[in-house]
Amino acid sequence: MTGVDEAKLAARAGRGDADAFGALIEIHEAMARRVAYAILEDREDADDAAQEGFLSAWKAINRYDSSKAFRPWLMQIVVNAARDLRRRRRVRAADPLDSVSPAAKDDPARRAGDIDLGERLRAALATLPERQRMAVVLFDAEGYAQAEIAELLGIPEGTVKSDVFHGRRALRRVLGTVKEELDD
Amino acid sequence: MTEHSPFDSAPDAELGVALREALAMPFGGAFVNRVRARLNQRQRSWDEELAGWFWQGLVAASLVTMLAGWGLNTFSGVAEESDASASATVASQLLDGTTPGANVLLASMTASDTP
Repeated sequence: MTGVDEAKLAARAGRGDADAFGALIEIHEAMARRVAYAILEDREDADDAAQEGFLSAWKAINRYDSSKAFRPWLMQIVVNAARDLRRRRRVRAADPLDSVSPAAKDDPARRAGDIDLGERLRAALATLPERQRMAVVLFDAEGYAQAEIAELLGIPEGTVKSDVFHGRRALRRVLGTVKEELDD
Repeated sequence: MTEHSPFDSAPDAELGVALREALAMPFGGAFVNRVRARLNQRQRSWDEELAGWFWQGLVAASLVTMLAGWGLNTFSGVAEESDASASATVASQLLDGTTPGANVLLASMTASDTP
């Protein structure tokens, strides 16, 4: 938690205070970009989607219910923006499928042959279905409750539990392999 | 540290840290500045601005309506009372056998003309 009263900042933003909304951007920037990246697997697209999400939230700030937490409300908008961008990207993507995931292509370390844990995790994430990827990232990395994730993704809570289980199992395998390599 | 199982219902802290690092995006400050700049470029339209004052406006309008209702109720009550007292004065003077003065008659007529 940030210790900042986000509801007050959001209320000020609702009255047109761009500085208050700027403070909210600073608080949530890292998480919004990580979540967008988990959906899009491309850094530039993730930044575009996160930016679009923040601008949409600014436009819709009057519809934010201050009795509820600000973070899930914002994250819902960012997730929608990322999914919209992915849909548009799919439409324009007429080029042949590449065996290397965009996340892997993104990292210069791969070209140097120096594969690190981060890259392996991104590659493992890229193999997961989007819903599993989102569930495990939101639950384990971002600290959302399963009920919040269910609402965010529009799926039953039981499905979230199952997705977290399967996603986590795949990622844990990668963590285990890296640990073993480090021990050798 | 205890071993974490995929069955656990609590967040996996070790995996969480590794994922946050793997998904971390560089140049946070530059990103914030970029969005802030777009925020300032994007002037809010009049309807968005109005919507920002919707609840305050609604509360103010309710207060004005309540005050107007109270005022109307109070002052029409006073007017009715004065009408009643004017009629009572004419009636009582006629019953007493005295001729009502011109001012009393005039007041009584004015009161009865008021809807």
